[in-house]
Amino acid sequence: MAVPLIGRIGVLILASTAFYAYVGQLVPQNEVQPPQETVLRTDLTTAEMVTTGRQIMDAKGLCFTCHTIGRSGALRFPDLAGIAGRVSERAPGVTDIEYFAQSLYEPDSFIVPGFNPGMPAINRPPIGLTDQEILCVIAYLQSLGGTPTVTMQTSHKYYTPAGAAPVAPGEAPANGAAPGQKAAPVAPAAAAPAKSAQLKPQAAHLGGAFTS
Amino acid sequence: MNITVLLALIAVLVALRFMKAHLLLWAGAWWVGIYVLLRFGFRVPIPASVISIYMGIVTLAILAYLSSSDERREEVFGPLVRFMTERRHTPFLAVTVLAIPALAAANVYVQMNVAIEPPFFPRTIHPASPTEITVQDQRISIDSGDNPYRALEQSNPDEFRKHVENGRRVYYQNCFFCHGDNLGGNGMYAHALNPIPTNFADGTTLPSFRETFFFWRVSKGGPGMPEEGAPWDTAMPAWEKMLKEEEMWDVILFLYDFMGQRPRAREEVHQ
Amino acid sequence: MNGTMNRKLALVLGPVTGVLMFAGVVLIATFLTNREYAQPYRAPAAVVDPTPRVEGVAAEAADAEAKAKATPYAEAEYRQFPVIGSRVAVWAVSQLHLLFAAFVLAVPLFAIIIEIIGYKTGDLRYDRLAHEFTKLLSVSFSLTATFGAFLTFLLIALYPKFTNYLMSVFSPTFLPYVLLFFAEAAFLYTYYYGWGKFHPLVHIGLGIGLNLVGTGIMLIANSWLTFMTSPAGVSDTGALISLYDAVYNFTWMPINIHRIIANVAFGGSVAAAYAAFKFLQAETDEERAHYDWMGYIGNFVAILAFLPLPFAGYWLAKEIYAFSQTLGLTMMGGAFSWLFIIQAVLIGNLFLAANYYLWLGMGRVEGRQPLQKFIKYLLIGIALCFAIWATPRSILATVSEIRAMGGSTHPMLGFLGVMSAKNTAVNILILTTFMSFLLYRRTGKIATVAWAKTGHAAQLTIFAAAAFIVIFLGIYGYFVEATVRIGLSVPQVSSVLIAMVSITIIDVFLFRRAKMTGDVRWGKIPPISQYVLIFIAVTFTWLMGLMGYVRSGLRQHWHVYGVIRDTSPDAFTPTLGFATQVVSVTVLIFFVLIGFVFWITSLHDRPDFVPSAKTVTHPGADVVLGGALGHQPGIARASHFEGRTQ
Repeated sequence: MAVPLIGRIGVLILASTAFYAYVGQLVPQNEVQPPQETVLRTDLTTAEMVTTGRQIMDAKGLCFTCHTIGRSGALRFPDLAGIAGRVSERAPGVTDIEYFAQSLYEPDSFIVPGFNPGMPAINRPPIGLTDQEILCVIAYLQSLGGTPTVTMQTSHKYYTPAGAAPVAPGEAPANGAAPGQKAAPVAPAAAAPAKSAQLKPQAAHLGGAFTS
Repeated sequence: MNITVLLALIAVLVALRFMKAHLLLWAGAWWVGIYVLLRFGFRVPIPASVISIYMGIVTLAILAYLSSSDERREEVFGPLVRFMTERRHTPFLAVTVLAIPALAAANVYVQMNVAIEPPFFPRTIHPASPTEITVQDQRISIDSGDNPYRALEQSNPDEFRKHVENGRRVYYQNCFFCHGDNLGGNGMYAHALNPIPTNFADGTTLPSFRETFFFWRVSKGGPGMPEEGAPWDTAMPAWEKMLKEEEMWDVILFLYDFMGQRPRAREEVHQ
Repeated sequence: MNGTMNRKLALVLGPVTGVLMFAGVVLIATFLTNREYAQPYRAPAAVVDPTPRVEGVAAEAADAEAKAKATPYAEAEYRQFPVIGSRVAVWAVSQLHLLFAAFVLAVPLFAIIIEIIGYKTGDLRYDRLAHEFTKLLSVSFSLTATFGAFLTFLLIALYPKFTNYLMSVFSPTFLPYVLLFFAEAAFLYTYYYGWGKFHPLVHIGLGIGLNLVGTGIMLIANSWLTFMTSPAGVSDTGALISLYDAVYNFTWMPINIHRIIANVAFGGSVAAAYAAFKFLQAETDEERAHYDWMGYIGNFVAILAFLPLPFAGYWLAKEIYAFSQTLGLTMMGGAFSWLFIIQAVLIGNLFLAANYYLWLGMGRVEGRQPLQKFIKYLLIGIALCFAIWATPRSILATVSEIRAMGGSTHPMLGFLGVMSAKNTAVNILILTTFMSFLLYRRTGKIATVAWAKTGHAAQLTIFAAAAFIVIFLGIYGYFVEATVRIGLSVPQVSSVLIAMVSITIIDVFLFRRAKMTGDVRWGKIPPISQYVLIFIAVTFTWLMGLMGYVRSGLRQHWHVYGVIRDTSPDAFTPTLGFATQVVSVTVLIFFVLIGFVFWITSLHDRPDFVPSAKTVTHPGADVVLGGALGHQPGIARASHFEGRTQ
């Protein structure tokens, strides 16, 4: 053969690396964008909170890495379909808001029987949802098998919005906190200047970042 | 597994064994045989992407086998070298040289020529129900409620039979066109529907759910499905607009009665 | 007559020529003066009416200058690297640094082992081999240091804020690091240049010192990068609480172990590639025999180190899960799950190539090779395991295929995609490779000990038992809970290890004083085997690049996971296709550089330049091509040539 040795070895190396790069092109190509830093308006309606909550769970919350909705069989984490309907059997005497808040802020304090602990505290890094975002997530969870009642002014054990009356630990709100019951809807700028409205509830980028 | 394909392949390989086939023929037979097995040998077809991974591995393995000893190298490369160098093979060689790009082109053509299909939605057939629903201005709890006429089975069997007979009438006037005269999900319209209507005769559907669940499905129909149940993908009408509440409860009684099955017991609250 | 004519002609021609020449000079002078640069005439500035545009431009310039003067000094968070971007620049340079560092750490590790073997057995071949391996070291060492410095500068320049943070946490480890680096240089050069100059034990001591220091350097550097993945010892906002905890974080030890083993495997494969390269350009049978043997040893080291690597990898993955479930799931189930299918392709290729090399090696032995007939069964085993390992968990399928499957999981393939099946496959792969090695070992030998039959039967029984246990546990794993299933990999691995050790022990005694049916003729191996060695080296390097990417890319948009956010434009996680391209380019650069290392090393053996050497080839061409093309120098070839003509 007239091809010099170095040429043959070079072709071999080039061909093998090219082959592996080609294998790399055959697998699904997902570009994962970092979660968008969003500031939620304080005057979201409950219905808007439900859709926003779903988007947060899809994207920044990474919830569906482990949880499913409407699946059965060998599951990694509990299925969330109809979750609001099961609160009463899992944690009797606790409102669904308090139950959801507890499972988001202190996930290890109640483990659904048959599952292993492993969920991180959602309000801390690396996931690090804000208290407002967690309220939206709770709104969405309530909508699964129940009726959402939470608002941006709802207080619970772990969070009291600025301007809302703090809840005593023992006093569980009867049915969440209907708007206007706890505190009159306050103007965003006055209530929480740092977290004032900058973004639409649809949080345009959240949807785009998620590839299902 | 498709036994006939497997047996046919084994027969071909055994025949080659007795023919004392050339090593190249063997290698080709194995390659084609494994491809045929993967492509046609399974009841549930294997996706093309996985087949291509497997065939890549098979190709590597066969090449490794052919070249891993002196004798085999001789046996394989001798004919190949003769084919490429001897004058009498020149026309075939030319055909081969032309055939390779032609095959590649054909492959591209086949791959690009797939029919356009709608996206696949992984539909949950029996999605979780809401905790309560409102039917004809009446709130009905799915979790804690019960069929109001179920208790009659014990207290007043005659009355209960009447309800079941009424359910039978309702079923054969409304439901059996799709769900079938034996509740098998194979009524006269069933073949036109995708997905097919629920089969109540499969022995597992009825006992896995409580009657309130079916009441939800009957009263709210396809449109009342949550998102994961693909409400756009089912033809079940929302019967609350056409039937009375009692009729819907009765038809559920009839379903269980016809199949001789009992609804799932209510779950006790775990403390 | 002629004379007068000539004189008249000269009289006329003289002035004419003079005039012509003068005219020529004038022409040239004019031409040159015209071409000379002169300031064009410009009207005095004061005379020009300032157009609005000119005024505007001037005002803008003044504004910009004033603004620049008024800007206070601000710390930059990120800077951009031109064209390829900061991330890719740091990525490629750190990968190259790491590849050379791995090589520099690994070669002394097995060089010292080979040297000790040589010292113990008194076989000079081993000593020569160990020396030959260390020849590759000194150039690689300086390349490692150069890339290390390059990487440091890139980090400071491109990621100033984050680098500053890492320094604030780890600054106490810097001084020991630098001191160890000095010690490494001292040991390395005395070890290499002092070859044969000291008492063998002193020299072995130097080698051990070199290894200890090298490992120490790696441990320190590992603490920095494992801290980025699994930070410990810092508060939520990143303030340092305990340096000890920061160093000894969750993944530090697993990474240390994983890297030491992987380095040996990688170093062995690159050394084998060097031997392959020398084999292919060898001119004599002795050279061929030597380099064939060297390649065999290098590959043996690589494969031996490679066998426990999957287990070290599982331990690392387990620690990642223990540190953060989210991180573990991102790796195995989320964005990176497909990366492990690519990894399966690479590892399957490695196993296949390693076995293939052993089978080709049977050709070294004279006479018939009755064991060749077993190859097809081994091959079927390898192909099956390879296929199982490469079966994806979530299958790519078209819509009609999903419909046909009745969902996104295939009823049969679904079983092959899970951990149980893959653990089983990798254990069987290891057993099969071990079997290939055993077959290679006994080619051309017949056991003569009295209990030969029993011995073979015992070996076969142990092998079958191990295979049975592995497969049984693999299938059993489908019927138990996840917590039990994870524990099953321990008995699987240990049964494989026990089988390998016990079979080896039996084998050693079985083939004492064995009857040789044919000599091992080193060097009598088809050249394709040497290309296989090079392929193995490329695959190993590529695998290291890929795994380096997942280890680092796992953090996604964090510099320090959960503590320091990456807010640069490169914070997103690129597609796997892009990542594999970067890895490929890095690997190519590495091989160009390692080719340079090989060339420099081969200069050592080259005879001195002789100005008027009577060589067959052109000496100038030889200087240029000799190294690149790997020809032997002119004189050696000349003597070879003469030897043939006589």
